[in-house]
Amino acid sequence: MVSISFPFSMILLIAVIGYFAARRKAIAMVKGNLRQLQALPQAYGQTVFFTTFLPATVILLGWAFVVRIMGPSYALISDGLFQVLVIITAAVGAALSYLRVKPSQRARAISERWIMGVLMAASALAILTTIGIVISMLSESAIFFRQHSWSDFFFGTVWAPNFRGGSQLSILPLLWGTLYISFISLIIAVPVGLYAAIYLSEYASPSLRSVAKPAIEVLAGIPTIVYGLFALITVGPMLRDFFVQPLGLGSSSSSVMTAGLVMGVMLIPFVSSLSDDIINAVPQAMRDGSLGLGATKSETIRQVVVPAALPGIVGAVLLAASRAIGETMIVVLGAGAAARFDLNPFEAMTTVTVKIVSQLTGDTDFASPETLVAFALGLSLFVITLGLNIVALVIVRKYREQYE
Amino acid sequence: MTKLPIKISAKNVDVFYGAAHAIKSVDVEIADKMVTSFIGPSGCGKSTFLRCINRMNDTIDVCRVTGDIMIDMEDIYDRRVDPVQLRAKVGMVFQKPNPFPKSIYDNVAYGPKIHGMARNKLELDEIVEKSLRRAALWDEAKDRLQEPGTGLSGGQQQRLCIARAVATEPEVLLMDEPCSALDPIATAQIEQLIDELRSSYCVVIVTHSMAQASRVSDRTAFFHLGELVEYGYTSHIFTNPSDKRTESYITGRIG
Ligand SMILES: Nc1ncnc2c1ncn2[C@@H]1O[C@H](COP(=O)(O)OP(=O)(O)O)[C@@H](O)[C@H]1O
Ligand SMILES: [Mg+2]
Repeated sequence: MVSISFPFSMILLIAVIGYFAARRKAIAMVKGNLRQLQALPQAYGQTVFFTTFLPATVILLGWAFVVRIMGPSYALISDGLFQVLVIITAAVGAALSYLRVKPSQRARAISERWIMGVLMAASALAILTTIGIVISMLSESAIFFRQHSWSDFFFGTVWAPNFRGGSQLSILPLLWGTLYISFISLIIAVPVGLYAAIYLSEYASPSLRSVAKPAIEVLAGIPTIVYGLFALITVGPMLRDFFVQPLGLGSSSSSVMTAGLVMGVMLIPFVSSLSDDIINAVPQAMRDGSLGLGATKSETIRQVVVPAALPGIVGAVLLAASRAIGETMIVVLGAGAAARFDLNPFEAMTTVTVKIVSQLTGDTDFASPETLVAFALGLSLFVITLGLNIVALVIVRKYREQYE
Repeated sequence: MTKLPIKISAKNVDVFYGAAHAIKSVDVEIADKMVTSFIGPSGCGKSTFLRCINRMNDTIDVCRVTGDIMIDMEDIYDRRVDPVQLRAKVGMVFQKPNPFPKSIYDNVAYGPKIHGMARNKLELDEIVEKSLRRAALWDEAKDRLQEPGTGLSGGQQQRLCIARAVATEPEVLLMDEPCSALDPIATAQIEQLIDELRSSYCVVIVTHSMAQASRVSDRTAFFHLGELVEYGYTSHIFTNPSDKRTESYITGRIG
């Protein structure tokens, strides 16, 4: 373990001292006549601060991270020595940059460059994490495929994990459940969301719109576990008691239909607010052109506005689909855990995400294929939703260009 | 001024946007088979008044129109008049060409389809061809009818919009600065087209170019701050204006 708090506070302290010292030096060198400075005195201070603080901090955190991952045996030097070295780095940075402070130094440009560096590092971090996640999924999946046949995983028909060995682990029954539930949820969310968007953007008065739009968007802020509870406690039993059992369609309260209905409701605000933005982006000139030819409002919407917005709406639907495919809590609580191919939407079925959760919870050792399959499932899901997102983004972007 | 048949007659028209008074008791009589142009500094209400004639102002929530506007002696603001029907009869061409993101053919066929003007595909084809010919676009477009209208050049797009308007067989054609987004060559083509349309329609054109008004129109109305200041034969307005404000505008002192 590398301790961080002590060296970090020392670095910070040196940097702050450097800031004030540099500021004073800059002022002193021109004898208080600030106009002779290339920049404000603070800028000289900032330059020293960044040069002291940033390199030392990056080294400190980077090293701590590496040692943490690789294990203490990789630390070639003792923790105490390392701390001293880091603090010396900071001190050297402070001293060198302090010596460079002089009125002709272009301190603003230098501190600008450091600021840009920090911003760049933040975006790089976001991208690197994604890459890191993919790499770790890939490596775990590779272990899985060394232990289990890939043809069973991709082309088998049975999901029957058995911790004593001889499991059949096929993604297909899970994918079937995932797609079936997503399909039902989209059948609900797409028309309702789209009609809501059309109503709000074309018909509603501004005052109604200003109330209704946020109200719909509140739906998007409800945690999915709450939707899941709603599916488990209300929708599932109601469907069973008033619909499924009387009609003799089954006896389960967990079902594709339960999860699909609730997930559909969850997706409505998602579809409606994206479509709403897209419909609003259709130029008023299109509507005027149609109305000016004697078309009614609904003819205009059907024949001009929606077709013009269609690529964007398709993009919104694809984004909603990728949410549906990745959704977990609602299906855990609403759809059940039985992995099977079935057309009856009132039967319990399960999805890829549910099985990822169930394979990783409980007493598991992370070396058996029954556990590692979760990574292969996750990776497959990631590839599917990534593909959907890319297609959606390409479509949306293409659509945006049309009117610019 | 009243020898020719009157197509549009407005009496005492006021238009308000909320509390803002955009048109102030305008009276005007517009003759059939002629080109009438509206000129005036920007913001004086030319577009607003034009949009009263096909009730496009109905689509703006805050807009309120009072007074009488008659087309063929029929009050178009009467409760029995359906603005949607009216707009088929009073076509409009806008400042910026706004073809629908559809094929050239479908752009022109849009109005006739909505109003059920063609009984079959053959008749629709005929209407489309006739309208494109009217708009002097047939020769350029006949081999690419299925290509998107948005792929045409600006001037062609504007002629497509004229073809689209003509296809519903209107009696009046309103044009709101139809050339302001076009280059001089496209402008000349549109002006020539307007000259040809004169024989079949009552054409009303808003323009910010006085040269254009004098080239294309028989009569000119000068608007200023929501009022109709002067109205008469174009040649007369441009050579011998009777109002001080008109004179200042055409000599370039206001506007
Ligand atoms: N949709 C609208 N809402 C409120 N005010 C408007 C609207 N359209 C035009 N106006 C106002 O009405 C006046 C006349 O505008 P307009 O008819 O567009 O003038 P012009 O076409 O002569 O330039 C202007 O003061 C303008 O600000
Ligand atoms: Mg205007």
